[in-house]
Amino acid sequence: MTQLILQSVVSGLLVGGMYGLVALGLALAFGVLKVLNVAHGELLMLGGYASFFAFTFWGIDPFLSMPLVFIAMFAFGVILYLTLFRYVTRTEIHNRIKNSLLISFGLVLVLQSMAVRFFTADERTISTAYSSDALTIGLVRVPVVRLAGLAVAVMAALFLEWLLSSTRFGRALRATSEDWTRAALTGVDVRRIYLVAFAISAALAAVAGSLISLGYSVSPNIGLGWTLKALIVVVLAGLGSMRGIIVAGLFLGLMESLAAVWLGGQYREVAALILFLVVLSFRPQGFFGRAYA
Amino acid sequence: MPRAATIATTLVVLALVIAIGLVSSNQHVLTLIIQTMMLGALASSWNILGGFAGQISLGHAAFFGLGALVTRELWLDGIPLPLAVLAAIATTTVAAAVVGVPMLRFRDIYFAIGTLALGVAVFITAGNLWPGISSMSAEALRNYDFTGPYFMTLGVLVATVAASLWLKHSKVGLGMMAVRDDEEAASATGVNAFAHKMIAFVLSSALAALAGAAFAYFSVSYFPNFAFSVIWTFEAILVVFIGGVGTIVGPLLGSVFFIIGRDALPAEINEFQVVVFGVLFMVVVLLIPGGLTEAGQRLYARASRRKPPSANEPKATKGKELV
Amino acid sequence: MLAVDGLEVAYGDLQVVWGVSFEVPENSIVAILGPNGAGKTTTLLALMGLLPVKAGSASFKNHSLIGVPTHQMVDLGLVMIPEERAAFSSLTVEENLELGAYTPRARPRQRETMAEVLETFPRLAERQSQKAGTLSGGERQMLAIGKALMARPDLLILDEPSLGLAPIVVEQTFNIITEIRDRGVSVLMVEQHLEMALEVADHAYILEMGSMVTDGTSSQLAADPRVQEAYLSL
Repeated sequence: MTQLILQSVVSGLLVGGMYGLVALGLALAFGVLKVLNVAHGELLMLGGYASFFAFTFWGIDPFLSMPLVFIAMFAFGVILYLTLFRYVTRTEIHNRIKNSLLISFGLVLVLQSMAVRFFTADERTISTAYSSDALTIGLVRVPVVRLAGLAVAVMAALFLEWLLSSTRFGRALRATSEDWTRAALTGVDVRRIYLVAFAISAALAAVAGSLISLGYSVSPNIGLGWTLKALIVVVLAGLGSMRGIIVAGLFLGLMESLAAVWLGGQYREVAALILFLVVLSFRPQGFFGRAYA
Repeated sequence: MPRAATIATTLVVLALVIAIGLVSSNQHVLTLIIQTMMLGALASSWNILGGFAGQISLGHAAFFGLGALVTRELWLDGIPLPLAVLAAIATTTVAAAVVGVPMLRFRDIYFAIGTLALGVAVFITAGNLWPGISSMSAEALRNYDFTGPYFMTLGVLVATVAASLWLKHSKVGLGMMAVRDDEEAASATGVNAFAHKMIAFVLSSALAALAGAAFAYFSVSYFPNFAFSVIWTFEAILVVFIGGVGTIVGPLLGSVFFIIGRDALPAEINEFQVVVFGVLFMVVVLLIPGGLTEAGQRLYARASRRKPPSANEPKATKGKELV
Repeated sequence: MLAVDGLEVAYGDLQVVWGVSFEVPENSIVAILGPNGAGKTTTLLALMGLLPVKAGSASFKNHSLIGVPTHQMVDLGLVMIPEERAAFSSLTVEENLELGAYTPRARPRQRETMAEVLETFPRLAERQSQKAGTLSGGERQMLAIGKALMARPDLLILDEPSLGLAPIVVEQTFNIITEIRDRGVSVLMVEQHLEMALEVADHAYILEMGSMVTDGTSSQLAADPRVQEAYLSL
């Protein structure tokens, strides 16, 4: 029993790291642009496929192709912003969320069905030489690729933290998040900030996708599931808080795993969702967030 | 369109639908019409909460599914259909009331995510508790006649549209729309925002259950959790916006457009049909927020060269008070 | 330096500003006065590109402003401090000031300007690492002005600088405004507090219901019986 619990804890933390990474991108887009992109999971899915095909056709190791995937999805994010989300940011904040929810929902339909058409509905996993390697620590088995995924997640969070707190650009991002009109009056090119923030958000989703196609699997319809997890993590951490996101992700992963142990694997997701609703009811600002949304 | 013309058109369409139901034996056509009416009813029910009261719920399928589940279970156990349907509505109404109290405290995005989480949780639980296929008995299958489901679905649609119509012209409905446009301002003028949202939520859910009952009666065999699938929510929302959110005819127009359009597209571009609707949806949200209804009004106005009443009044800017 | 002619602003069908014209010459303080709801802030926001301009023209140092993005105006030297102070509560005092020098115009001289600003406002130097949200009203006012100065403006626009501040702070603020003008930065301010504004302003315009009613020097306006009756007797 102990072994089961320990293993569950570890598995939960590992997948929780992924939840956190996916949530980072979503939080960035939401925090800066006040836009909710429910197609975030689809961008993750595309990143996963990009890594998969890079590996399958050209033999490029996913950790090597990751920077390329980042850049490619950054570019795609720029395109998405310029063609779609730019128009959403023209509405005032109150309606922006509703509009972006709807627009990105349309995007989900488009991206998902195109993925089915071009990639087929089969599940894909990247199998490298080291894919099945695992560290054995005591009673627990830790798959190497998933551990690497957690490491990437933590590094990404630290990098973002650094970007926001120590760079001029990061200051401008935070200012824009707080109040875009004041930021504009301070001389900040708000449109450019939006563009870059959104593109980074998309690129982060793609990187998460790469890790997921390596450590888990990817198929055309995984998008919404991951988006929902990311949303839950963002709300748990507190809308407007980048800091606690990895922590909240780990927490979610952990709770899910423990729920699976006690209630059975069938109810893993349900337990997480109910936990989420409970937290939302009693502490809507999340663990680390400010009292405003 | 002038009142008289609207009423006349409605009566003609209704007569046509009834006629087809009585006369036709073309299963394909009958199925399409039933699907259109069912989606139209579901979409109209969502429209009450989302279009009139402005609360975007992403968990609507939970109530559609619950209505279908209760109806199906009771009916297949031998209970007469009307009673089963009543039970379904009663159960869902209670469920919605219970769920609505905590849920409606959330606003905007929290409400959307919260309802989505709830919807998914219910979907998974339903799949766990009722894993097996629900099928009609072999005898029922042999005697399957479209007439029953056809007119039941028609009845459901008529009931839902009637409810929407009544609501739109009632004081309660006015209150809902005030809450939709600006909740703070509405509260300040004495409108009990929570009560109005609650009424919209419960009514919308009960009507969704009614549509679910139609689905249960019509479908030959399916996995019970299918009716709880988020796809139903998405299709309803898609169709409401394409048709024109907040209007009576919008959800109906959207449903017709969607079901017929989907069927009319040649099989080769089957996967792309979703792409087409997705793109159309985005276009509508960005450019023609009033959907087909607004597009229709603009065309009509141009044809009769009159200034159209705008489908969506520009809302007063919220936020900073500007002198 | 700043010339506005026939500016019209509307929210959809609702017109709020009707053909407003005014000028801000170099080295001067110009005030736009008027009651609440007159359209003063709307005029400023439209000028700065944050509201759409229905008609009219505006030029700053011979550059036309209509259609120019807000951040570019700041880079030209036109800086506005909005009504609710311009500081970002979630950033520290130091970060706020650093952010103030965001434009290419101000960036090269950031360190120099920062030293100047901290000298002018020693209280800010004391509180450099504090989050701006924890400052008092008066300190936030100073921060807002200091941050605006970091952009090295040629013309500083202030929207209701006296709003919500204690009288002594208001006096301090107007002293600073005068000092700023003396250092070669023109000032345009919108104020409800007529008397104080007239004391420092070289020229003032009165805006009522979206239209300019009258204008003149402080002494001229003070002597105007209409102005006296409408505003100064309150």
